[in-house]
Amino acid sequence: MFFDSLMMIILAYGFGFLYYGLYRNISARVHGRFGPSIAQSFFDSIKLFTKNNSTTFGWMFYAGPVIMATGAMLTVLFIPFLNSSDSLVGLSSYGNLIVVLYLMVLGPLGNALGVGSNSNPFGVMGVTRGLTRLIGLELPFYIAVIGLMVANQTIDIGVIMANQSDGYNAFSHPLLFIAAFISFLGFMGKSPFDVVGAPQEVYSGPASEFSGKFLALALSQSAIFSFAKLLLMVNLFLGGADTLIDLVFKTFILFIVAVFVGDVYARLTTIKSVEFLVRVPTVIGLVGLLWV
Amino acid sequence: MFNFSITPLGNLFFGLSLIVFLSLFVVKNENRSPLLHIILLSSLGFIFYAKDLITFFIGWEVMGWSAYFILALTAQKRTLQKYIVFNIAGAFSLLASIVLIYGFSGSFLYDKIDFASTPPYITLAISILVLIAVFVKSGIVLFHHWVVDTYEQSNDIFSTILSAIISKAGIFAFILFFSQLITFEYLETHLFTFVAFMGVITSIIATFKAIDEDNMKRLLAYSSIAQVGYIITILAILSSSAFEAALYHTIIHTFTKLLLFVNIAAIIYITGKTKFSSLGGLLYIYPLQFILLVIGIISLAGMPPLGGFSSKFLIYTTLLQEQQALLLVAVMFSSASAFLYCYKLVYGIYLGQKTSDETYKKIPVSFYIPQILASIILIVLGIFPNIFRAMFNTILESLNLDTIIFTDIFTLSTSIGSFNGLAIMGGFAVLFIIILAIFVSLKNKTIQTKDRYDISYCGEVPDESSNLHYGYGMGRELKRISFIKVILENSSKYFWQKVENITKDSSSVIKKVYSFDTQTVVLVTFGLFTIVLYMGAN
Repeated sequence: MFFDSLMMIILAYGFGFLYYGLYRNISARVHGRFGPSIAQSFFDSIKLFTKNNSTTFGWMFYAGPVIMATGAMLTVLFIPFLNSSDSLVGLSSYGNLIVVLYLMVLGPLGNALGVGSNSNPFGVMGVTRGLTRLIGLELPFYIAVIGLMVANQTIDIGVIMANQSDGYNAFSHPLLFIAAFISFLGFMGKSPFDVVGAPQEVYSGPASEFSGKFLALALSQSAIFSFAKLLLMVNLFLGGADTLIDLVFKTFILFIVAVFVGDVYARLTTIKSVEFLVRVPTVIGLVGLLWV
Repeated sequence: MFNFSITPLGNLFFGLSLIVFLSLFVVKNENRSPLLHIILLSSLGFIFYAKDLITFFIGWEVMGWSAYFILALTAQKRTLQKYIVFNIAGAFSLLASIVLIYGFSGSFLYDKIDFASTPPYITLAISILVLIAVFVKSGIVLFHHWVVDTYEQSNDIFSTILSAIISKAGIFAFILFFSQLITFEYLETHLFTFVAFMGVITSIIATFKAIDEDNMKRLLAYSSIAQVGYIITILAILSSSAFEAALYHTIIHTFTKLLLFVNIAAIIYITGKTKFSSLGGLLYIYPLQFILLVIGIISLAGMPPLGGFSSKFLIYTTLLQEQQALLLVAVMFSSASAFLYCYKLVYGIYLGQKTSDETYKKIPVSFYIPQILASIILIVLGIFPNIFRAMFNTILESLNLDTIIFTDIFTLSTSIGSFNGLAIMGGFAVLFIIILAIFVSLKNKTIQTKDRYDISYCGEVPDESSNLHYGYGMGRELKRISFIKVILENSSKYFWQKVENITKDSSSVIKKVYSFDTQTVVLVTFGLFTIVLYMGAN
């Protein structure tokens, strides 16, 4: 179980950085630039981990990013990677979909605590925006997930995956999928529902005061966490994956759609994005839920 | 005279009360009124162990009055008026239902009350009357008007009792009346569907009101209303797994609120401040208090790996089993929005910038005792989520409900899924330790510990006069979101003001008849006497 779990985390870390590199490259091309190489984000993270300088504001500033990373990795461990397989399952047999939904919030809590202890009011402003937006994002996502749980009468991710052998939930419950996908764009930190989390240049994001290894850990967890979200969407709506190649293919399709949407749209303000989220996708989701 | 019986349900509620009272007894408290607290505790004994409705009602009344006298030591007149008007209305409603029960089943004794021959509309009337009393005590929306001011203005330690115990008396009354006295088959399901929605609307409204609050105690008061809202929602499902979830959440909420209220009581005791806008940056002065508060908010938000998750999990799965998807969406939405006020609580007090350079003394050790007790219980319940299930089964058995089958002590299982508390807690602990070890072992040549003014501040250097604590502003932007604005700008105050005006107007009519004018009094008495005589003759 230990090596299985370790493998899951390593894979999530690798894929997370691969996708992050691809994201920077693809959006550069969309913008008419060349962009950095695909491995650039990975090198960045290694560089930041080994930086000589780092700034801290006390022990909570240490614990914040660690809780964040713990939350992301624990989330990965509770989502099975492959459909009805004995490998790459981690702790998923001990948990369920509700556990995963709640573990996904553990990261933001660690982030909020770490940023809160850094004394910069702008960091907390970013956290508050993020948490406010989370209210908007979670509503349609929860509706979609509850729709699936009611339809399948189970909260086990493995069973929901296995039940899709006749057809993906994305097609049998299209409205729920649309609602979940709109939220998913926000969860992936893509426009129009993102919150500025810019690590270096903008002084109003959650990561604004993290430097050196703190920033490296924050970036690594965000890469792992992005992969966890892709994995969850694939498992819930695209029938899970039978092999690793299948998994890469499906997560990549979801990822590329999210990147394109994010590149095309401009960012909404937090208020506007919450208002949009509680109107459009929520109503779509509720109709889908009544349909179930 | 009074009839008592020891029941498993009574044991649970009285046990919780006893733990809370005893642990609060050690806390340093200057406005202590031991006699009134003992009367309050014994009245709770009357309520939880009564065997007949009269004993129950006497306990209920004494509880209301003794709380009133304790409150009167600190609260303002207007708050006391609100408290007494609502609680008397609730008690009268309960009395009316008791009278109706006696009228139709001929006994006050729990064992002899039978609804088989009671007409359904009378059962409905009794249910509504009991629900009003429950709603007042638990602070369900519209009936919560007294709650927040009362919590804010009572003694800091007594607020804990109000939130942790007194609000649970309503929950106890609900379980007693709607399972033991009136069995499920006689209850009107539509009424309880309505009650479930009232509960969840209460939680949503109270959650957003809490986010907007600048006062710590008022924030926790709204949070209490929201949590009890969940309990009422799940109770109104009327099934044995729903009752189990409600009892579980009752236990969790009692300990969570014990922890949180004592935590802020300590801060108020030391600093004398109650507002987030005037606190902040206490993390490095009181680190233990901070850690305890974080345990409290993780449990309050219902996040794994602590006990709060176990009870939320049971609530969600029960709603799923009963196919109550809309209720589940609403409960989960409210629960997710609660993160914001949980974070405000911890940030406003402990994180961010200090708002003043005052030096504070040490917090007396006695404040830590109830908090550490509660946090140990919450952690243990996170690892062993099944620890109380045997007790719940005894309670459900005593209420003639189906019992729940469970396997081992680590796995909280329901018919649609389960989770293992040890795996979550273990996974969390192992990962946390490994990441922390790797993280700390990454050697940096220079680690600068920065001063609080040494921050990136849009290229400017902030000084002493810059307001760097965001505690006050947090949640303010929510008012710009239209649906939240509607919630925040409306209040039950306007509704009750209208009721007050109508009551005043109608009382002027009554005054015309019932005045101190001797002639009218004699006339009315004579008229009534004639009617009574006439009715007697027939």
